[in-house]
Amino acid sequence: MDRLLEVKNLHVGFRIFEGHLRVLNGVCLDVKDGERVGLVGETGCGKTTMVKSILRVLPTPPARVTGGEINYRGRDVLTMSRREMQALRRHELTAIFQDPLQSLNPVFTIGTQLRDIVKDSAIGRGRRLSRREIESRCIEALRETGMPDPERIMTNYPIQLSGGMRQRVCIAEALSTNANLMLADEPTTNLDVTIQDQILRKLDELVEERGASVVMITHSMGVVRDLTERVNVMYAGSIVEMGETREVLQNPMHPYTQGLMASVPKLTGEGINEGIPGRIPSYLDPPSGCRFHPRCSRQMEICSTESPPFFEIANAHQVACYLYREDR
Amino acid sequence: MQWEERRADLKATLAQKRHGLSRGWYKFSRNPLSVIGLAVLAIIVLAAVLAPYITPYPEHAKPYTNFQDGGKPPSLEYFFGTDRVGRDIFSRVIFGYRFSLMIGIVVLALGVAPGIILGLIAGYHQGTWIESVIMRITDVFLAVPPLVLALAITAMLTPNLMNQMMAIALVWWPWYARLVFALASSLRSEYFVREAELTGASKFHIMFKEIFPNCLAPVLTKMTLDMGIVILLGATLSFIGLGVQPPKPGLGTMVAEGAKRLPGEWWGTIFPALAIVAVILAFNLVGDGLRDVFSVEEV
Amino acid sequence: MNATPILSIENLVKHFPTKMGVVRAVDDISVDIVEGDTLGLVGESGSGKTTAAQCVVGIYPPTSGRIVFDGTPIGVMFNRRDKELKRKIRIVFQDPGSSLNPKRTIKQILSVPLKVHGMGTERERLAMMNRLLEMVGLPPTEYLYKHPQAIGGGEMQMVAIARALATNPQFVVLDEPTSALDVSVQGKIINLLTRLAEELDLTYLFITHDLSLMRNVATRVAIMYLGKLCEIARTDEFFRSPMHPYTRMLLSSIPVVTDEEELLKPEKIVSKGEIPSPVNVPSGCSFHLRCPERMPVCSTVDPEMIALKDDRVVRCHLYDTPDMGVLDTIIIP
Repeated sequence: MDRLLEVKNLHVGFRIFEGHLRVLNGVCLDVKDGERVGLVGETGCGKTTMVKSILRVLPTPPARVTGGEINYRGRDVLTMSRREMQALRRHELTAIFQDPLQSLNPVFTIGTQLRDIVKDSAIGRGRRLSRREIESRCIEALRETGMPDPERIMTNYPIQLSGGMRQRVCIAEALSTNANLMLADEPTTNLDVTIQDQILRKLDELVEERGASVVMITHSMGVVRDLTERVNVMYAGSIVEMGETREVLQNPMHPYTQGLMASVPKLTGEGINEGIPGRIPSYLDPPSGCRFHPRCSRQMEICSTESPPFFEIANAHQVACYLYREDR
Repeated sequence: MQWEERRADLKATLAQKRHGLSRGWYKFSRNPLSVIGLAVLAIIVLAAVLAPYITPYPEHAKPYTNFQDGGKPPSLEYFFGTDRVGRDIFSRVIFGYRFSLMIGIVVLALGVAPGIILGLIAGYHQGTWIESVIMRITDVFLAVPPLVLALAITAMLTPNLMNQMMAIALVWWPWYARLVFALASSLRSEYFVREAELTGASKFHIMFKEIFPNCLAPVLTKMTLDMGIVILLGATLSFIGLGVQPPKPGLGTMVAEGAKRLPGEWWGTIFPALAIVAVILAFNLVGDGLRDVFSVEEV
Repeated sequence: MNATPILSIENLVKHFPTKMGVVRAVDDISVDIVEGDTLGLVGESGSGKTTAAQCVVGIYPPTSGRIVFDGTPIGVMFNRRDKELKRKIRIVFQDPGSSLNPKRTIKQILSVPLKVHGMGTERERLAMMNRLLEMVGLPPTEYLYKHPQAIGGGEMQMVAIARALATNPQFVVLDEPTSALDVSVQGKIINLLTRLAEELDLTYLFITHDLSLMRNVATRVAIMYLGKLCEIARTDEFFRSPMHPYTRMLLSSIPVVTDEEELLKPEKIVSKGEIPSPVNVPSGCSFHLRCPERMPVCSTVDPEMIALKDDRVVRCHLYDTPDMGVLDTIIIP
């Protein structure tokens, strides 16, 4: 499988009143063709910043890329011209965000918005579609997401639909572009559990059919378990553990991952533990070395001086933690 | 023991406020225009306050004639030239700023406070008769064009500065009532308001201590931008003879007097007019800066 | 089981008339809460769980039905409740970002309930605030003078909890207190709440949509769907043998993280269809359109609540004949 997306050692910062926020701290992410990759992290870990960096929609006065590359099919996104970037966003990359009310324009009908996207995507590939073709493609896209009565939905405004339906519209929009890479940033967090289940399954189905790749960004380990083949655990601007989903969830190695897994309330009813002590660090003055070390019960001297590289545990299971250095 | 506790409490509270102010200044100073506006404004205010001491001919602001020096163009002796009766226009302009600033301050003080209070009450009681009564009265006042109403009032009463200020204040309060009403009625459904209600806090507390602090930002910004408009309104009234009466050096009055001598003795009109523009522009720039200060950064 | 409940909801109904029809948010629910218990109220959107809690606390007056607290009927809106009641029943909202006034410091926020209920002089109140913050694990000198935006979400929620407890209440409604927080912070808050419940003799009405959380927090669980109760049971019973088809659908949809949990879930019921709007409640049993066990009677007759042994209640035609045999056959192996 080809490497579709490769984020290499990305450093992104923000300039604010109090100083300079060093958010992304050498984060790395790999996505191959047709892969479903999870990015797990809590609030403030930088996952949204990373998504926006890949799409290059970060407002660059306060934000600044201070290092690293984002390679899409071998070409660095960060050095692309505006034209090239636009083409990329039109045809190759697509995104779904957490709040569909923010992604959908409230003053236009679903039909208007969807038709725009279908038309635009076709034109970009050098094809003109007739009105009837556009219409039928839109309806087909909606139907594929499991939307009941798509013809009627086309005439509705976003506010007339339920949260689940709005998100289905966003998925339909995303899939209509026939993109190769979908970045899904907490797409079902705001939805009811039964609807979330339906939508995630559908998304999974559709992505599989098209051979597209998905980066599923979420804070829910459960969602990652059901939907991804590989997972990356993110903390304070860098990846601390990555590997095959099953493997990582069953044998979490990094103390943060272990803490996370232990904090998730279990159906088995064994009580809830105290969570992970401490807070996410300030990006103004982040901890030296491993950014997790102040909260780590097993920190060693080297953890506060040098940032740990990845150590390989099993095949493809890597941890950025000195506990797993070979010579131990 | 008690004194020490109080001191520690006070110290901590003030430290927090200081931090807030310095953050505010940082946001304000990002825009150079705002800083320029503030500087110009500071100079104008300072000059107006210290007028008797810094102007070359302070006595020209009072009844004074010197026909010999009348109609002289700008020179080192008279920076802005002299008017028809020989008075130094520069000194009169500085004194004129006193009137303009006073109009702005008094009108806003008289007009803004009632407007805010009524807006808060109406907003919190949205949907009841209280709101209807207050907002319909507000609507009536808003329906009349400000200039017309101010004209009517000043024309009915003797035209002088005090009446002019009250007339403008009368027209000004509805805008604040409406602004605060809009803010208050949307804030009413916020959870922190609900929480205060459920705790049993008094309506006064909720309106003035919970809701109002969240209205402060738009109100302050509007006040700054309004200063310019009020000053202009005052100058307009003076221009048509209903405000500051000659021989007092109101800026609008001076523009009117000098207009008769255009285009020959242009300095009589142009400099007072520019002075008006300068102060309005300064307020606008500061207002823009304030808007930046109050905007919430999303990182 | 036999103690008089501290809170008793009897046939509570709350309808909202709107332009598009009547929103039947809460449609006749009855449940009791015993002192010291934590009743978990679970449901998806449109279930009415939040509205029910809001009626308990007095944000809305009921359309009909009774709410009895400590022997006294309290089914009126907050502005018609006396102060003592407002002191005894408190609420913690879901989003601390909006339940704490961003323009006020934490000291000002905490002082409101203390001042309103006349709890001591200014000096005594300051001491109380210090104690409240220490109780929730926040060092007072650091936190008292800050504004909510300066602290993290978990800490904000702890301030909200401190505020709720400031009046020495007996009953606290927790409306999704950790839904807006990260899982690594959630544990701390939940454990804090459990500990405080014991130390201060509190009774909780805990609302959430997270069943895994509920499993570890509630002593009894009640599930709501479209304004009606589907099932009430003690927690362990509820998860071991869920009876109502909606309950089973819900349980089978939750994402879990371990294989052991996967085994505990009931057989996969693929949820289909959208949750109907409370304006258009289906006839008969409101769940029948999505129910895999639908019977002809379900589309015409709304089932009654049936009391079963072990303090369980179910509302479903499958259990219409209180046949104890039926109970035994659904226990999950």
